[in-house]
Amino acid sequence: MNPLPPVDVEPHPWRGLAWLTRRECHRVLKLWKQTILAPVISSLLFILVFGVSLGDSIAEVNGFAYEIFIVPGLIAMAMAQSAYSNNSSTIFQARNDRYLDDILSAPMSAWQVHLGYIAGGAMRSLIIGAVLAALALPLTGAPLEQPLALALAVLLTITSFGALGIIVGIYAQSWDNQSFINNIVILPLIFLGGVFYSVSRLGSPWEQISHLNPLFYVVEAVRYGFLGSADVSPLLSLGVVAVITFALVAWAQFLFSTGHRLKP
Amino acid sequence: MDQPATTTGLRTAGAAPVALSIHGLTKRYADGTLALEDLNLEIPAGSFFGLLGPNGAGKTTLIGAVCNLIRLSGGEISVFGQPGGSMAARRMIGIAEQEPNLDKFLTVYETLLYHGGYYGMDRSEASERAEQMIDAFDLRAKRDVEAPKLSGGMRRRLLLARALLHRPRLVILDEPTAGVDLELRHELWRYIRSLHEQGTTILLTTHYLEEAEALCDEIALISGGHIVARDSAEGLKQSFGVDTLEEVYLRTVAGGRITLAEGLEEIAGDAGPAGADPVDDGQAG
Repeated sequence: MNPLPPVDVEPHPWRGLAWLTRRECHRVLKLWKQTILAPVISSLLFILVFGVSLGDSIAEVNGFAYEIFIVPGLIAMAMAQSAYSNNSSTIFQARNDRYLDDILSAPMSAWQVHLGYIAGGAMRSLIIGAVLAALALPLTGAPLEQPLALALAVLLTITSFGALGIIVGIYAQSWDNQSFINNIVILPLIFLGGVFYSVSRLGSPWEQISHLNPLFYVVEAVRYGFLGSADVSPLLSLGVVAVITFALVAWAQFLFSTGHRLKP
Repeated sequence: MDQPATTTGLRTAGAAPVALSIHGLTKRYADGTLALEDLNLEIPAGSFFGLLGPNGAGKTTLIGAVCNLIRLSGGEISVFGQPGGSMAARRMIGIAEQEPNLDKFLTVYETLLYHGGYYGMDRSEASERAEQMIDAFDLRAKRDVEAPKLSGGMRRRLLLARALLHRPRLVILDEPTAGVDLELRHELWRYIRSLHEQGTTILLTTHYLEEAEALCDEIALISGGHIVARDSAEGLKQSFGVDTLEEVYLRTVAGGRITLAEGLEEIAGDAGPAGADPVDDGQAG
């Protein structure tokens, strides 16, 4: 077969973004046992063991049965971790195997590449969140009081943790770097952010110290969406999460725009 | 060292349209390595241009700069008149890198399909083109096989197919035949030649001097981040008063420190036991 002559075609501005998003979703679905099934099972085990099994022996928290109280925090934790780990691993792998070059040399702007990667992690998080909610709400009887606030909290959570994953994936020198951030930073901060307890029950100074934990506001924002009440005002929790999201997205965008750490 | 045919990559004659224009290109890496220093190069549209040089001469850095894969320390690049790194410039370039950098989660077909998408094609156009390239590069039997499961030769075919999928005006081939068998090498040569005949500008880097001599209209020799000579293969040989391109290569990139006999001796030593083909070993510098 003879090759065809070159052509000049103006690329459609959105197609590159759409295809990168699709590629990221393709990867998530291809690895569904690892990317979706495993985090759903581990979160469900937390709900079953800590909530359903031990719930009867624990008094109500903020007027909710314990198994209901912990559901929003566990869903928030699963979604945040999956957005982070998805994006950190996909970026690091693309850098490490250098197939990221196919993206960087394509006619796509920095924000399109950024958004494409965010979308992959977001899709994975939304699937996990939806499956967990579909299983946990009927199982525990947890309500869904403020769907709009919940939608906003979820959007900010998956965007912020997706951007954090991108940043770590760009800076990481090895696979260990990513799991280090997840295991040593994100997981402890989420646990200490009141997933399993109400921070308001902690005495001084632990309650005040807990308010310095940014992940506390993520948990509280999602909890407000489900239960309609939380330890802090939804405006404060959503506002803090929005500021964190803005800062992380700006940082990730800076890395894509300048090529810092992505290009030698 | 003898006087080279042309000591700059810039051409002085003719008003032929320029495919790639590089002025004052400098790249210093974070560790302080100066890979390219005030490099100038113009490649006419429609030419088949060879870039030769030893490892570390700056070939891959130069290609990375053109393809938006490295950050420039200084200088300007334009591709068919469009600023380097712009969307329009990127659309006109197809690159097959030296190392097979294929997405491990995609099959052969998907690799091509998604590449077309990244370059702005719609699904039906990208799909049709992917099937064409699968046939053109004899990848039909491996269409649904993931990249990591392909042999080295098949990966090389896929890299080239991917580079050409969006029908770029400037195709950059970084050592496209490194590590492939003789049969595939000649097959790729045939395809690249016919691509050139269709009007595509080709920039080829290679360690195989006979490959550059057989394919390229013009050859530039790069050493230490500078273009040290540039002309047709015949022009270079005449300018240096030598019989082979190897001798030109040794006199320029080795700074005249190595004679052909010494160079070949060194190559034979590097290549191992008797019978090794010094050129095929890619150690001609």
